[in-house]
Amino acid sequence: MTTASRLTGPAAFLSTLAAMAQKELMIMLRYPVEFVASFGQVFLIVVVLTLAGLMFSPGGLRGAGGDSGTSGLVVYGFFLFMFMSDTLWTIGYNVHRDQKQGTLEILYLSPASKFANLLSRIVVTLVWTGLMCVMAAVVMSVMIGALPFHNLALGVYVLALALAGTFGVGFAFAALTLRLKETAQTVANLAQFAFMVLCAPFFPFAALPEFLQWAARLIPLSYGVDAFRSTLMGYPAGFPELAPIEVELVIVTAFGVLMPVIGYWLYRREEDVARMKGSLSEY
Amino acid sequence: MTVARVGRPSLSQNLSAALAEAQLRFTNISRYPGQLLTNVIIPIVFAAMPMLLGRATGGASAEANFAANTGSSNYVGYMLIGSCVFQFVSSTFFLVANWLRFEQETGTLEAVYLTPTSSATLLGGVVLYSTVRSLLPALVAYVVGCLIFGLNPFDGNLGLALGFIAAGLVPLAGMSMLFGAVVLKVKEANALLNLMQWVVSFLMGIFFPVAIMPPLLQYLAWLFPPTWMTNGVRSALLGVGYFFGHWYLDMAVLWAFMFLAPLLGWFVFRRTEQGLQRNEGMGQF
Repeated sequence: MTTASRLTGPAAFLSTLAAMAQKELMIMLRYPVEFVASFGQVFLIVVVLTLAGLMFSPGGLRGAGGDSGTSGLVVYGFFLFMFMSDTLWTIGYNVHRDQKQGTLEILYLSPASKFANLLSRIVVTLVWTGLMCVMAAVVMSVMIGALPFHNLALGVYVLALALAGTFGVGFAFAALTLRLKETAQTVANLAQFAFMVLCAPFFPFAALPEFLQWAARLIPLSYGVDAFRSTLMGYPAGFPELAPIEVELVIVTAFGVLMPVIGYWLYRREEDVARMKGSLSEY
Repeated sequence: MTVARVGRPSLSQNLSAALAEAQLRFTNISRYPGQLLTNVIIPIVFAAMPMLLGRATGGASAEANFAANTGSSNYVGYMLIGSCVFQFVSSTFFLVANWLRFEQETGTLEAVYLTPTSSATLLGGVVLYSTVRSLLPALVAYVVGCLIFGLNPFDGNLGLALGFIAAGLVPLAGMSMLFGAVVLKVKEANALLNLMQWVVSFLMGIFFPVAIMPPLLQYLAWLFPPTWMTNGVRSALLGVGYFFGHWYLDMAVLWAFMFLAPLLGWFVFRRTEQGLQRNEGMGQF
């Protein structure tokens, strides 16, 4: 077997992906302060938002613990919010970090798979954000009542596809980072706010004004949020809110399958432009 | 030929250096209007989250429940004040920390410490910038937020509310030095700073009264100047009630912080700085 053939093919791809993912995880583990602080931060976000929500309940904090519908609505929306905001930040931020450290150009000169390089950034998000979601779920369950837990298999399916779509958005945002450089951070912030409002991760879509509900219907991820929490909550009256569950499943599936392809295509396009212009290491 | 002597800079020279430092930063931020826009949007969106959730889950009795739990039925004003003060406070802290981190990363911190301008002067300029830069977007966010949610932003005792904000500026500036000291000491402190922002939000009672906290946490919250500022503004505009029953007693507490917080902040910052200078830590990051 020649040296060149050992660098291509599925085995080489998986080996590269494993090595790069291991590198990302090792970086994460070498900053224990950051590790613990992030956990603390999620804990406090959950506590602050939960306490805020409880101010509208009869009895406030004393009346907490009864309504599993509310906890399901908030917790399951919070899961997708965490993944979405992390993905928006992580992939683009990591590409930007490589630009700043001057290692992006070198990475692109190596024979390693560029897709594996991009995909490895997701591993940390999946492991880390997944852990934080579990912790957030436990904290919220203690504070505002047990979580509803129906249709687990379908819930996992919806979550997997919504996450796949989200990672596609992350790839597209990484492409934007190559083009906009420092400004991309501001765009990520604005996108995060738009998501917080239009995809309604912390409240039902019915709480939005009518015109914003229409805007929410134009975003595929809204259907992911709606389908995911409605499924796990066992379709209580009024849920799903945006469309019948069958329609939502089709949209979520299409989002999960197509968005990674589109996102990666956009990234490769921007990367080619940057290489031709010689701006890959500019930031 | 007259040779200029390098000596201790005069007060006017220090003031001029501090203003130049602040002006530098204002010029820099004017080149990134998107960041300023974000500072206005953040508190509005952030306040909208619990409002929309509460409105949906509380139903028709949301307003009454909120009044029973917080002392005001005006939940829009309550949440907006909380998120705008939070944005102001956390941004003030973060900008001072960010200044030091930026100088560390670009390798200029050591050089800055070798100029005849003292770190106190430069820090003064950065604190001035961070206070103005954080306060103005927060005020704009409050007015815009009120208009979006259908409130009159000029309702209530506006003069007294502004008085509480003004009285809180100096303690905040003092506390921002503590954040600076954390960056000097810990260096890669982004996650820690993010965590501290949320600790701030919790202790100041961003969306809820501190009275719902357990007693120990309440005492801790009372040692934190932004808690008095937030409650003062809420009491002046919404009538939720002062901690000590009268506005002048709460204001007196903020005045006490006005003297204590800068002293504590400067003491901690200076000690950290001197420790690093002695141990070759200023140029490391």
